[in-house]
Amino acid sequence: MAPKEKDAKDKEEKIVKINKWDGSAVKNAVDDAVKEVLTKKYNYVENFALMDGRLTICGIAVGVAMFALLWDYLYPFPQSRPILIFSVSTYFIMMGILTLYTNYKEKGIFAVCIQKDASKKDNVWEASSYVAKYDDKYNLVLAFIDGKTKQRRETSSKKSVANFVDVNGSVVHDLVEAEVTRLHSSLLSERKTK
Amino acid sequence: MDLVSLFDDVKRMNKRQFLYQLLSFGMIVSSALMIWKGLMVVTGSESPIVVVLSGSMEPAFHRGDLLFLTNYPEEPVRVGEIVVFKVEGRDIPIVHQKNGTIKFLTKGDNNSVDDRGLYAPGQLWLTKRDVVGRARGFLPYVGMVTILMNEYPKFKYAVLACLGFYVLIHRE
Repeated sequence: MAPKEKDAKDKEEKIVKINKWDGSAVKNAVDDAVKEVLTKKYNYVENFALMDGRLTICGIAVGVAMFALLWDYLYPFPQSRPILIFSVSTYFIMMGILTLYTNYKEKGIFAVCIQKDASKKDNVWEASSYVAKYDDKYNLVLAFIDGKTKQRRETSSKKSVANFVDVNGSVVHDLVEAEVTRLHSSLLSERKTK
Repeated sequence: MDLVSLFDDVKRMNKRQFLYQLLSFGMIVSSALMIWKGLMVVTGSESPIVVVLSGSMEPAFHRGDLLFLTNYPEEPVRVGEIVVFKVEGRDIPIVHQKNGTIKFLTKGDNNSVDDRGLYAPGQLWLTKRDVVGRARGFLPYVGMVTILMNEYPKFKYAVLACLGFYVLIHRE
């Protein structure tokens, strides 16, 4: 009796409930579910380098702004002019770099996982997704980068989010898992035939 | 029940995502700050945008108008310009030149006496140092929000708290 109750409670905790009309919340919830499948089911190790890069750029920008604030407080306006010019331009350059980084380097990638191979070379799995503004189609792209040959192969699936989220707004983990497994297997089998 | 669900998004974030939320909030604050400092540098004034607080400049400016100021060191203050000094904005400076230093006296359009009552005790004239800037342009009524927030500080803190809360909780 007791273990069954605990199982039920665990399952309830795992099910994520979101506002199904909020597009970005839905995308984030499905992204999280995909990430969970990659890490829990396949036991890949998540690589945070991309996220860390973004955090660093933001951190520098905020740091510069705080420095400017402090300097201006200690040395009132006319004296602080050169420092202010430097800080303001640095800040906006950082914002520009951040925009370029998000648009060209990150490109909707929300998970990078390393698959440890028997040999020293690790394979990298990248999951990225995007949802158009008022659209319900969730585009999931799973890419496989071979550790040895550095070749990149990717498959994508374009399905409505209704396939992953039930009518109450809960993400149905099993459906997400099925989809990811399908893409994953297709990438692996492609590798074997080539 | 609904209040608790607001925190669900946050609970599901790992450390890195939470740090990113904090930085996003920091970036919004920093952007506003940097735009303000940038304006200070470009106009040369320590307070480039001010709100008209009293009715002493009517019918030109009313309470709640927003004024844009510049303070370029090369341009001396001339008679008839609208000057904002470190208390409030006034018109018609009476300019005197004494031993190479320009001193001036201001008076509001709508007042019958000059501003000597507003200056520091014992001060009879203003110099360049007291000037925050010359008015270059204005936007009517926009400053009413600032006046409201200054007269009801609780309203200001409530608005800021709600905005900050929303930015921290809502995931991008």
